[in-house]
This record gives sequence, structure tokens and C-alpha cells, in this order.
Amino acid sequence: MDEDVLTTLKILIIGESGVGKSSLLLRFTDDTFDPELAATIGVDFKVKTISVDGNKAKLAIWDTAGQERFRTLTPSYYRGAQGVILVYDVTRRDTFVKLDNWLNELETYCTRNDIVNMLVGNKIDKENREVDRNEGLKFARKHSMLFIEASAKTCDGVQCAFEELVEKIIQTPGLWESENQNKGVKLTHREEGQGGGACGGYCSVL
Amino acid sequence: MAADSEPESEVFEITDFTTASEWERFISKIEEVLNDWKLIGNSLGKPLEKGIFTSGTWEEKSDEISFADFKFSITHHYLVQESPDKEGKDEVLEDLIPQSMQDLLCMNNDFPPRAHCLVRWYGLREFVVIAPAANNDAVLSESKCNLLLSSVSVALGNTGCQVPLFVQIHHKWRRTYVGECQGPGVRTDFEMVHLRKVPNQYTHLSGLLDIFKSKIGCTLTPLPPVSIAIRFTYVLQDWQQYFWPQQPPDIDALVGGEVGGLEFGKLPFGACEDPISELHLATTWPHLTEGIIVDNDVYSDLDPIQAPHWSVRVRKADNPQCLLGDFVTEFFKICRRKESTDEILGRSTFEEEGREVADITHALSKLTEPAPVPIHKLSVSNMVHTAKKKIRKQRGVEESPLNNDVLNTILLFLFPDAASEKPLDGTSSTDNSNPPLESEEYNLYNQFKSAPSDSLTYKLALCLCMINFYHGGLKGVAHLWQEFVLEMRFRWENNFLIPGLASGPPDLRCCLLHQKLQMLNCCIERKKARDEGRKTSPSDNVTNTYSGDAGKSGDHLGPDNLKDMDKEKGEVGKSWDSWSDSEEEFFECLSDTEELKGNGQESGKKGGPKEMASLKPEGRLHQHGKLTLLHNGEPLYIPVTQEPAPMTEDLLEEQSEVLAKLGTSAEGAHLRARMQSACLLSDMESFKAANPGCFLEDFVRWYSPRDYIEEEVIDEKGNMVLKGELSARMKIPSNMWVEAWETAKPIPARRQRRLFDDTREAEKVLHYLAVQKPADLARHLLPCVIHAAILKVKEEESLENISSVKKIIKQIISHSSKVLHFPNPEDKKLEEIIHQITNVEAIIARARSLKAKFGTEKCEQEEEKEDLERFVSCLLEQPEVLVVGAGRGHAGSIIHKLFVNAQRAAAMAPPEEDLKRMVPPEERRQNLAADFPPAAGRELILRTTVPRPAPYSRALPQRMYSVLTKEDFRLAGAFSSDTSFF
Repeated sequence: MDEDVLTTLKILIIGESGVGKSSLLLRFTDDTFDPELAATIGVDFKVKTISVDGNKAKLAIWDTAGQERFRTLTPSYYRGAQGVILVYDVTRRDTFVKLDNWLNELETYCTRNDIVNMLVGNKIDKENREVDRNEGLKFARKHSMLFIEASAKTCDGVQCAFEELVEKIIQTPGLWESENQNKGVKLTHREEGQGGGACGGYCSVL
Repeated sequence: MAADSEPESEVFEITDFTTASEWERFISKIEEVLNDWKLIGNSLGKPLEKGIFTSGTWEEKSDEISFADFKFSITHHYLVQESPDKEGKDEVLEDLIPQSMQDLLCMNNDFPPRAHCLVRWYGLREFVVIAPAANNDAVLSESKCNLLLSSVSVALGNTGCQVPLFVQIHHKWRRTYVGECQGPGVRTDFEMVHLRKVPNQYTHLSGLLDIFKSKIGCTLTPLPPVSIAIRFTYVLQDWQQYFWPQQPPDIDALVGGEVGGLEFGKLPFGACEDPISELHLATTWPHLTEGIIVDNDVYSDLDPIQAPHWSVRVRKADNPQCLLGDFVTEFFKICRRKESTDEILGRSTFEEEGREVADITHALSKLTEPAPVPIHKLSVSNMVHTAKKKIRKQRGVEESPLNNDVLNTILLFLFPDAASEKPLDGTSSTDNSNPPLESEEYNLYNQFKSAPSDSLTYKLALCLCMINFYHGGLKGVAHLWQEFVLEMRFRWENNFLIPGLASGPPDLRCCLLHQKLQMLNCCIERKKARDEGRKTSPSDNVTNTYSGDAGKSGDHLGPDNLKDMDKEKGEVGKSWDSWSDSEEEFFECLSDTEELKGNGQESGKKGGPKEMASLKPEGRLHQHGKLTLLHNGEPLYIPVTQEPAPMTEDLLEEQSEVLAKLGTSAEGAHLRARMQSACLLSDMESFKAANPGCFLEDFVRWYSPRDYIEEEVIDEKGNMVLKGELSARMKIPSNMWVEAWETAKPIPARRQRRLFDDTREAEKVLHYLAVQKPADLARHLLPCVIHAAILKVKEEESLENISSVKKIIKQIISHSSKVLHFPNPEDKKLEEIIHQITNVEAIIARARSLKAKFGTEKCEQEEEKEDLERFVSCLLEQPEVLVVGAGRGHAGSIIHKLFVNAQRAAAMAPPEEDLKRMVPPEERRQNLAADFPPAAGRELILRTTVPRPAPYSRALPQRMYSVLTKEDFRLAGAFSSDTSFF
């Protein structure tokens, strides 16, 4: 099943507690929504293979706990990530204000600087919005990130967010190619079988 | 030849274009190539600008043709010009002579500093050369030469190509070319004479003028004036008092122990030999006319000091030996060694402890024997252990890979706390000479994945580098490493923090070795804290022995100390089970907890918060703002918690792999959460201990405040009241938070089970360190060494301020940060980086050498100094630099002085007879007169425009170039003639 996978990418989801990181991930991987999803402890992990422009990429997505106390633990998992999804809750301004802290954290703990960052404003289905879309846009532009607003509940923008992120990573060849030789997180399979079909796709990317 | 058609031929006559003979085929092949390259017709370019031969770009096109089975290469060399005049190409202007013939007279580009020899000799902007394709092939016989030349002639005639076409004859090294250029009604023959020795009559201008005139054979009287350009080149090799200042570092000084440890933190820099070997001064008279000056066998007007133009070039020594480059290269070589530390130092040390005592001198001799020592090999620690200290000092030392003084100096440098009475805090950096924190330079380790420049790891890298180079090579490296590992163990066992490491968990931006050391420090810190926590325990007394021991002598590897290490050494072989000894130590701690567990269980049984509230609160850190406990309004305290386990990147990788392996199923996720809940549970227990009688709501308000939702509600009395409850997700029945909360007992952090088993982790690190081979070590530390080398180069550059070097350094940094960020960079890429560093070093060394030679520092006047500095930096970057003001300028006078001094020294040194015998009389004449040595090369260009072959022919360009050196005499003539009536 992994034979035609172009590459495995490590994606990280971070943000304040309760902004819906795990829900976004669950929506993306299982296409379900559970309003009563337990608070994550430490880090959680999910895998999904997606196809972008005809290239299959396997995503190893690390979902982190947002609680302050866990923050001494989770940054260790920032290592080797190629993409980061930074989530805030559009109905809670404090989660938006704290974004700067998270960026600092990223800067401190990420081992590479060409990593692709995406800002996601979650819970747009809710009525009591506190953070305007434009504010999110402005923040993302200032820190050269991708930006999208989404709702894990209604499914708005979720798929799109992940696809966009992966596409961007694949467009940055230095970012993922080397990762194949790099001993990143190894999944159950190693993506060595780059058969003929995959090769064709490989060329069209570059 | 083809196309021998007669215009008035009969209809039935056949025009024969077939090429029958090899010769015809050869010619048609040349024509084909000329056509392909579109070299047909006359394309008049712009007049040549001054210096364009140097500043412009030259390109060449090549093809291969053969005469029978003899292969030739045909190459078109040309100066790239902007948009050649297309119209001129189309209409062949009848009365214009070809471009190349005009260029013969152009004086703007005489003596270009760097050009194809034909460009230098004939001033051509484009030409085609046919030369034997194979390097050792040559066209030697005269008839063959003629055959080639006539082929060229026919091809040019047939195609109407106006680009000069040369054939190379004789051996390649002689660079002999003959050629031809054809235009409408005109032709230039390029001829050449090449001799080993200069015939006496041609050593001066008048003789050469004679030969030029006779070649022209013009009968006009008076002859049109001949214009003359002359360049004499003088070579300076003897720099006299400007001895190359760089001396190789004095190794003895280090061994003698006089030099402080500081030296070990520095990298050497500079070239061991003068990276500038020669200075060539070219004195040029660009525009003379016949009759203005006299230069014959008895007298010469050509005094170099009077020459209107001076230009200088320097010859750089090829690959000068550079200290820093060598240093890094040698260190890099260790990466390829396969031996383990034990193999290098002797394997049997662990088993044979004590057995060797009897005959230590014998054992020591083993060390000096070549590599494969069969039976007992001896480690230094063993030796030190077994020998009495005196013996060691007197004779043992000389034979161990590292001299004892050197070793002690290094250890003191690495562990400065050993010298002071009291061990320093592990975090304090001892070196103040480092760049300020936060500066770009300081953070370079981030890019290179090395280690901060004030860290122990970095210093260790430099020391190993130094040892590898000066003190025992690989053996020395292995020895120091062994000592280092022993020291690490000593520190672990005796609760001494390792100095020179930032406190806190391993910094994942640093190299793995650095992380491991940090990890060890974390372990020591925890152990120390624990041991201090139970001072009553008698086993703690160990702590105090260290400082006294170290204070006694700078040599902190005193006997006690060494004994300790030895014990360890002995145990390594026995592997893990022997460690259980040290493990036991911690059971005391466990028994400690046991007792408390009882306490916890007790209260656990009673269960309800009310009973718990009666417990004495323990392990409070501080109050949490104004929060109070929900049930009784007591202040809410933040507990002292256990720090999460520090991780090095390899551990982390292992762990994330384990976590990932649990898969993505619900059970997997649950298991994963459970595995990571230890920290949560511990925090809950601490919290419970600090806040007796608390609820999960209290905990959540501290731990995950967003999961406690407060709403303003209006109560029965109509007052606004804040009502809070757990978030929905916290209320899910039996979610892990609730589950953990229920199992958590009120136990303060210090009595909890350790989340982080420092004993185990420390032993793991120590084992890891012990099994590193020198090659592994070198790979670990190479980023640090490269980091240090780049800092060094940067530092040296800042003294010289060379803009080109600044740029290169930037490139090296960005290149290396790319290469070094991957776990196992390719050797080739690493070599490339080292090579780049060496190159920069050489450039800086050259700049220094030139500055010293030209005395830029001594220059007093600001303006002159600036000019001189500019001049020197030009010398580095340009092939040839014009000396402003020639011999009368400031730079000129310095150069003059250099030559005068060299001349004086030469006059004193060699016996006069030698000079007389060797130097031709003409040169001796100059030698005696001048401040300059005989010119190493003399070039003359003679030019005129005269009608040839008959007085009534068109006046055409004539040129003759001649060069005279010690073993080379060349005349290159281009003589044009009118072919209209001949």
C-alpha cells in the first residue's frame, strides 16, 4: 500500500489547549467530529496518506497537548518536522494572543529553519467570534505562514489546510528530499519502493 | 581541388565537386567548419577598447577534423563582443582590410596580463587554431608544415573567411604557430622563430629593428617610422628583511608546561611558508618611436625607473602549507580510522589490573612498539595506577601517548574547576573571551549543530585537534578521550557537575555528544540534589574528598582519583551487572518512598477530601495567584513537581518510534496517552500533597485553566455569581484525567517514584562515551572543529578587512550549515568545506604577506596608507595592477627599494665569477648599472604601415613581436602584403 508513496512527512500540530487541535486532526484523518474528545496527554500520533497533484505523501501527524505543563515535554517532538500547523480558536482571543509564544517555541526547538508553517483559525462555526479573519491574515503575512480558517465541526477548510501544507512542503524540495535519507521518525514501513509509476510522478513535481 | 570549373565550359562538361584525395577532404572539412561557425566574410567590430582583452570574456569553440588518420582539433578563440555589426558582415567591403589586420596595429591592448599567447603576440581579437588533437602529437617535418599551411591558405581562399587561421607546428610546448589571414586583395602571413638562446645581435632594440626592416623589405625612402612598445619584466624573489613572519608554533613550549591551558583553546592560523613567492614588476614604454631612444649593445636609454608605466603582479605559492587547514584536515582523517580506543591503547587493561605491576617498564615498552601488539597491552590508567607517582614522573610518562604535563594542562583547561578549591557551578562559563551571547557568531552552533563556543564539548574538540596534530596523533586522541571518560565517571560518582555546559535538558540544536554530556550533567544534578536531601546517609561523605584532592596539586588526577577511575575501568569489561553496586545506592531512596507510600495509602483508603484535608500539606512551591480551593476557600498552592525526564535526540527518536509504533487505533492512542501520563500523575500527586482535600477542578484550574469554564449566573438572590465547572471533555466518564486523578495519592514530588532514573541514564551515557572510537569521536566533534575554524578565519579576516574573503566566509557558513545538519554528512562534502576554509586561510595569509612587504602599517600619511592598502588588495584580486605614478609614486618607490635591497644582498652573496660566467655581457652591463636585476623578460612590439611587396602596393599593417628571456627567444611576425598584382 505504501509502494507509491513519494515521501513521508512529519507534521506537527500545536496551539493553546482547547483550540481544537485533536479535533482538526480527527476530522482530517477519520472525517468525524467528537464534541467530547478527551484532552490530549503528551503527544498523540496519526497517519494519513494523501494525494496532492497526483503525488502520494504519507503524513505522520503529531498532535500535541496544549497545556503549559506539557510544554516542557512536547517540544522534543518538534525535531525534524517539515510542517507545522499552528491552531488558535477564533472565539477566544487569548488563544490568538498567545501565538507569539508558540512561534518563539518553534524557533527555539525546530531543528531547521525552512520548515513550512500554517496558521489555522479554528471553530468558525461558532457564533461568538472574537478574532477577525483579517487579523489572522495579518499575523500570517507578518510571519510568512500559510493561513486558513476552518471548522473541525463543519469540516470547513480542514482538508484544504492539510493539502495546502503538503503541497507547499513538496514544492520545497530541500525540505523533504533529504528527509528520506534522514533518520526521521520511521513508520511501520520504509518508503523504499519507488517504483516506475512513482518515479513518473516524482519527475513532474520538480 | 574541387570546383576547378571553367566559366565558359560546355554544357556537357561535368563540374567535379567530389573530393578525391585525403588532402582535398581535409581542406573541405576545414571549410565546412569555418562555414558552420559562420566565420565567412568580414565583420568589422568596434575598435578595441583599452584593457578589453583582460576585462572582456574570451570564449572558444572546438571541433575535430582529421587528415587521413591524423587527428587535429580546430578551435575558434574569440573575444565576446556585444552585438557584432551584422550589416558589415553582409556586404563585403572591398576596400577595407580584415579586422585582424587592423588589430595588428591597435595599441590599446599590448601586453595583456592574461591571454592566449597568440593574443599576446599578435593583438588578435579572434582566430582559429588547428593543432594536433593528441597532446603528444606534433607536426615536425617541414613538408608537413607546408602542407598544412597551404591547406589553410586554400581553405581561406575558398571560403572568404577573414579570420586568421593558424596551425600549430613542432612540439606543443614550443608554442610555435604559423598562420595566414586573407582579405580581398590582401594577405597577412604569420611567421615565427623560436630559439633557445638569444643571438647576440638581437638582444637589443636596434638589432630587432634591423631584422624587422629586413623582413618588411620595403624599398621606400625614407621608411615610414616604426612605432615601438617595450616592456621589461623584473622578478623579485629575495624579499630580504621581510622574512615570512609565521613560525610554526613551538611544540616544546607546550610540552615544557610553560604555556597556559588557554593555548589549547586556540587554533593556529597562517601559512608556514611565504604564500607570495615572487613579485613581477613590468616596466612599460607603451609608445616610443624609432629614433627617440637608443638601445644597443653598448648603451641603453631604457632605464626601468624612468619607464612611464609600471605594473606589478605577484606569484602566489601553490598550495602553501596552512596551519589551520592542516589542522582540520588531520582531524578529519581520524574519521576514517577504524580502531577502537582500546585497540589503540591496549585492550587487556581491564582484565589484567594488578598483574602487570611487577614489570612496568617492560609493559611500557609495548606501547612504543608498532601497532599489532599481541599479548598484554597497557592502558595509561593502569600504568598510572600501578606505578608509584614518582616513577611515573620520572620515566613512565615519556612513553605514554600523552606527556603527563600536556595531559594535565589540557585537563585543567577543560575542567578549570578542578584547580579551584571549590568546584564551580556547572553552568558558569569560565572563558570571557568569547563573543557575547545572542550574537550571530555565538549562535553559529545552532546552524552547524556543533556546540556553543564556550562549552566543554567545543573545547574538547579543539584539544583533541591539537593533540592529534602535535601530541601523539591518534594515540594521543585515544588517550585523552579515555581520560575524559574517566573524568566523567569520576564526576558522576562524586557528584561534581561537569563545567562548561549549559544547565537544563540537552540542547537538541547541539551535536549528540554535547547532548550526552548535558544529559550526564542532568543526572549528576539530580543525584546531587537527592544526596544532599538526605545528608544523614553516611555514603555522602564522598562528596567532600574531591576539592581537597584537586586543591593539593594542579594535577587533579591525583592517585586517589585515579584509583577510582581505575576501579571503573576494571568494571567496564564486566558490563552491566557490575553496575548493580551503584544501583544499590538508590534503593535507600526507594525505601524512603516506601515509607511514604504507606502514608499515602493510608489517606487513600479514607478516600474523601475531608479526611485528606486534615493531612499536613507538603511540597508547596508557591501560592497560585488568588485562586482558592473550591471546597474550603484555602489558597491554592502550586506544588513542587518532578521535572520531566531530559532527553537526548537519540533517546527521543527511540521514544517517538515506540509511540508511533502503537499505531493509530483507539487502543493505540489510549496506550500512548497512558505511557505519557506518568508526568501527569506525578503532578497530580504533588498537587494533592500540596493542597490537601482538593478536587480535580482545583487541579484543572492550575493545569489546564481553559478546561474550567466559569459563567456568570444570577443566583436566587439576584446576585451575579461566578459559577464554574469542568469542560465537557474533562467530564467524560473515565477519561484519562479523571482516571489519573482517582489513582493519584497525595505524595510530594521528592518522595515520589522518580520519573527519571538518573542512575540508569547516567550509566547509559557513560557506557556510550566509553565505546566511542576515536573515529566516532571525530565525527561527533567535526562540526565543532569546523565551527571553530570558521570563527578563527572570521577573526583573522576582521584584522585584514578583505571584502572578497567576507563574501566567501558567508558562503562557507551557509554551505556548511546545510551539510552539517544531516546526521551523516558525506565525506566529500566535508572535505570540500575544509578545502574552502584552507583557501580562505591562504588568501588571508597572502594579504598579510603583501601588507608586510609593502609596509602598509608603517605608512604614516593617511592618504598614502589608504592608497597602498588599495594597491595591496588589488594585487590579491587582479592579475596585474598598475602602479600609480610608476617609479615615482609611493608604491613604486617601495617596490624600487625592495629591488635595491635584493640587489645589494645579491651583490654580496654570490661570487663574482659566477655572475660573469652565467650572464651574457649585455645583461652584465645592466646589472652593474642599475638597482634592478637583469630583466627576466623583455618584450618588444614593432609596428608600422608600409606597402608590400612593391613600393606601389597598398600600405598595409606590419608587426613584429619579440620576447627575450633567459632560455627563450621568440620572434612572432605578421607581415601583410598586397596580393592584387602578384
